[in-house]
Amino acid sequence: MVKIVVENLYYRYPEALDYALKNISFRIEEGESVAILGENGAGKTTLAKNLNGLLKPTEGSVKIDGVDTRSLSVAKIARKIGFVNHNPEHQFFAEKVEDEVRFGLRNFGFSEKEADKIIQEVLSVFGLEEYRGRNPFQLSGGEKKRLAIASIMAWRPEALIVDEPTIGMDYAQKLNIRRVLRSIVSEGRCVIVITHDVDFAASICERAIVLSRGEVIGDGRLRDLLSDDKLVEKSSLRKPFLIELEEETGLTGLEEDFDAISSILMEVFQKCRS
Amino acid sequence: MSFLRAFKYRRKDTVVHRLDPRSKFMLSIVLMAISVVFTDIRVLLALVSGQLILLFLAESLREWFSSLRGLVFFFAVIFATQLLFGGSFFTGVVLSLRLLALSSSMSWFFLSSTPEDIGRAMSVAGFPVELTFSFTMAIRFIPVIYDEFQSIYDTQRSRGLELEKGGFRNRIRNLMPILIPLLVGTIRRTYEIADAMEVRAFGASPKRTTYRPLRLKGGDYLLFAASIILVSAAACLKLLGVE
Repeated sequence: MVKIVVENLYYRYPEALDYALKNISFRIEEGESVAILGENGAGKTTLAKNLNGLLKPTEGSVKIDGVDTRSLSVAKIARKIGFVNHNPEHQFFAEKVEDEVRFGLRNFGFSEKEADKIIQEVLSVFGLEEYRGRNPFQLSGGEKKRLAIASIMAWRPEALIVDEPTIGMDYAQKLNIRRVLRSIVSEGRCVIVITHDVDFAASICERAIVLSRGEVIGDGRLRDLLSDDKLVEKSSLRKPFLIELEEETGLTGLEEDFDAISSILMEVFQKCRS
Repeated sequence: MSFLRAFKYRRKDTVVHRLDPRSKFMLSIVLMAISVVFTDIRVLLALVSGQLILLFLAESLREWFSSLRGLVFFFAVIFATQLLFGGSFFTGVVLSLRLLALSSSMSWFFLSSTPEDIGRAMSVAGFPVELTFSFTMAIRFIPVIYDEFQSIYDTQRSRGLELEKGGFRNRIRNLMPILIPLLVGTIRRTYEIADAMEVRAFGASPKRTTYRPLRLKGGDYLLFAASIILVSAAACLKLLGVE
């Protein structure tokens, strides 16, 4: 499984006066689930693009299994680290859902027979089997996001970076995406989630890296970081709902009952909607 | 594409930026016409020098110089064509200088005028508002579409697409995963913008008012005078037999 080591990373966009990322160092071990949090413009997506080789460091280094990303092509890195764009429509071009999944498999040299088998499996796991022959642009927002993740997970990368997975989604769609990402984590794969949605991040990730103005201002257990009032304020985030609930009620251990609480909230939500 | 940087508006507060787009456009057209009509190296050198002064006043020399890298290809084509088809090195220099004068004559204008200013100037000149609005929108959306292109390109590269792989036909085929999402996104955005304009009553009233009406000031009259003087000087030079 993949190991990512970032050392003194600085990144500056061409023609920009200031660095978008400054002096960033951390390690992501195999199988970790990490949330990259921070305000708009903090550098979250820039960091993610440095992790999968779309951007190469201006200074410092990013190493994937000990190899500097500067010496690897994006395709080589993508085989190990999948990247899901925040806008799934930026990747759709095929006429059918199944062909969208097939695209990456073809690029990575899978045979048509292997691809057929994988497509069947992946669409079933991601709950998209019934849409197999449908045009990807006709899917709902949540289905599009799931298809985007499915089309990356098809070649079984060892790590997955998902950029803003919950943008524009209702609660039920968020739960579906959460289920998908948690199943990837449970397989022992590394999942890196870039988001503003602290509740979503808290429901998937153990660890958080908090960015502000291109610098890491917090790296550690997500729950501990987001209980820190100063850090939460500095990063323009808010505390996850469960932490707030614990603080308000004095109850503890709600985190372990996340699923139960989620189901109750889901019921309340659906009652409100109906 | 780097030569396009010489035509992208940069927000600055300079004497050239504050001028009315109509007077700037008039001078640009005159400079462009002179660079097309003359092949005398002295005239072209004088033209480029004059334009350098305008670019200096617009604090845009850096953008202009960085765009020159993009023009190198065209200069190379000019020299290659001259040498292959029996022309001289000197003619290559003159034609390159003409290309430089021609592109610079528009460069200082676009670097110092917002798309809205240009649209307003077109409206004042009598162009229908639908046309000027479309023109302004098209210019404003070039960077947006470019950003979208970059995002789609990155996404497809993350799925193992390698544009530089394979022969010519394969490379063209490889562009499809980028062009289709870009086209779909652009068409969708067009409809969204049309709806957003309609809900804000675009086209509801035949008589439109302007938030910032254009007003000619002293500097603009100077530019008009300079344009007239340049046209007269060019006519005199032609009469004196200068090529």
